[in-house]
Amino acid sequence: MQRIFHTPEGVRDIYSRECSQKHQLQDRIRKVFQGYGYEEIETPTFEYFEVFSREVGTVPSRDLYKFFDREGNTLVLRPDFTPSVSRACATYFSPEKEVVTLSYTGQTFVNSSSYQGRLKETTQMGVERIGDDSPEADAELLAMTVECLLASGLREFQVSVGQVDYFKSLLGEAELDEEAEERLRELIAEKNYFGVEELVEGQNLNQDLSAALQQIPHLFGSREVLDRARSLTDNPMAVQAVERLEKIYEIMKIYGYEKYISFDFGMVSKIQYYTGIIFQAYTYGTGEPLVKGGRYNNLLKHFGTPAASIGFVIVVDSLLTALSRQKIETFQEEEPYVLTYTEDMLEEAVVKAQRLRKEGRRVALRKVKEGC
Amino acid sequence: MRYLTIALTKGRLAQETLDIFEKIGVTCEEIRDKDSRKLIFVNEELKLKFFLAKGPDVPTYVEYGAADIGITGKDTILEEGRKLYEVMDLGFGACRMCVCGPESARELLHNNQLIRVATKYPNIAKDYFYNKKHQTVEIIKLNGSIELAPIVGLSEVIVDIVETGSTLKENGLKVLEEVCPLSARMIVNQVSMKMEDERIRKLIGDLRNVIKG
Repeated sequence: MQRIFHTPEGVRDIYSRECSQKHQLQDRIRKVFQGYGYEEIETPTFEYFEVFSREVGTVPSRDLYKFFDREGNTLVLRPDFTPSVSRACATYFSPEKEVVTLSYTGQTFVNSSSYQGRLKETTQMGVERIGDDSPEADAELLAMTVECLLASGLREFQVSVGQVDYFKSLLGEAELDEEAEERLRELIAEKNYFGVEELVEGQNLNQDLSAALQQIPHLFGSREVLDRARSLTDNPMAVQAVERLEKIYEIMKIYGYEKYISFDFGMVSKIQYYTGIIFQAYTYGTGEPLVKGGRYNNLLKHFGTPAASIGFVIVVDSLLTALSRQKIETFQEEEPYVLTYTEDMLEEAVVKAQRLRKEGRRVALRKVKEGC
Repeated sequence: MRYLTIALTKGRLAQETLDIFEKIGVTCEEIRDKDSRKLIFVNEELKLKFFLAKGPDVPTYVEYGAADIGITGKDTILEEGRKLYEVMDLGFGACRMCVCGPESARELLHNNQLIRVATKYPNIAKDYFYNKKHQTVEIIKLNGSIELAPIVGLSEVIVDIVETGSTLKENGLKVLEEVCPLSARMIVNQVSMKMEDERIRKLIGDLRNVIKG
């Protein structure tokens, strides 16, 4: 029989220095979560398919790891924590009476075969704030995102904040046919300015609305983007969306983290359940966002308890990669003290090791053969 | 300032891209030197790095952020289906993705029967037949000289890029249906777009003025 020594594609062993760094990183992030008073929660690694179904709007069904239990129910390896935590929250807490704040750490599994070179199992750490629709809640999560990244040792990064309602409301006003709407959404997601221009000009829209839609892919950058976004439209829902971001920005100033925040009205996410602000954090050295989050006011309805909520996850593996590519070394490397002993010195060695361990030292016992 | 890295598609597309870059004042003489064995070419003044890659690899480099910007054909972007920003149609390298075959194969495309399709672009072919035409087909992936397939009876039709159509004509084949128009596109890594917003936006704006002008 051929013996197998390597792991399947998309999963891997983490050991030695990297493993210790990963755990230190997780400890730092957990401290931030705890500092904000978030309670920890664990949910199962696999759940019924219904928790991650199409109506919920998480990772597409074809990218899930699915299997069956004895009764023939379809089970799914968790691809995303938010639906699991929402389900648990709807079952055990009463978010309609009191705000629930939860944090978690664990593995997620996404089976995307076309993305060679991407991990299929990743460690994520995140928080959910359930039953709170205030801009203060939005700001708190953004502040936590910034703080987690700072705690990791990262210095140059950006948290880009979008607002799905802005685009949605303009789209509603435009009343495009389904195909054009889908195409426009795609072009905006691709930031294909000229494609958007062409498409919008081809539609019979009033001038203001047409100009506003054409501006959406350009609407990203620092605080002044909000003023531009507001000047483009009178649509009450769109204006409200901008005002919300202004309010959030003001609160970020109180935290003192406003310099990490930028805005992007063209941001769209593959995740369908987002309803208000969405945000992602980026840095150099990794082509993917490190943090993904947003407001999902309709998700808990699926689990029987409607509640406005917001959350984010940090992709720990990506963050670790970014830190190592940027050569940021803030982790402590304390080598254990190696205590060698020979057969007849066993008792002294164990006593000494135990004493040192009680003092908090790392002690490794190694027996040496006599005469060596 | 950081270097911005630009991945170009080896061959004619790279030449045309460099021509248009020259018009906006972005030059890289080294890369034009055919005898050079270098893999990376640098413009120190503008802090730009260039490298040449095979077409289908360009979206990969850009998706993972190994290159911030890439210039490649729409065909490879569609085929690779990667997560990136496709910011601009550069206009050159225009051609069409078509279903081709002998005239006798035309009717096979109308009555939903199972046919064999040879192509270098299995994803594009699959998407066209399954999602647009709702026809079940068997796809045969080939790596070159696709026109050969219907002639020797490996497949009924092919899905391939058509420029002038002269190769098809010489071999008794015809364009039966057009899948989509193609041309060179500029693609940008999603993180780079945020982190290097100003420089990339300026580059896009400049290029656009040249193309429209």
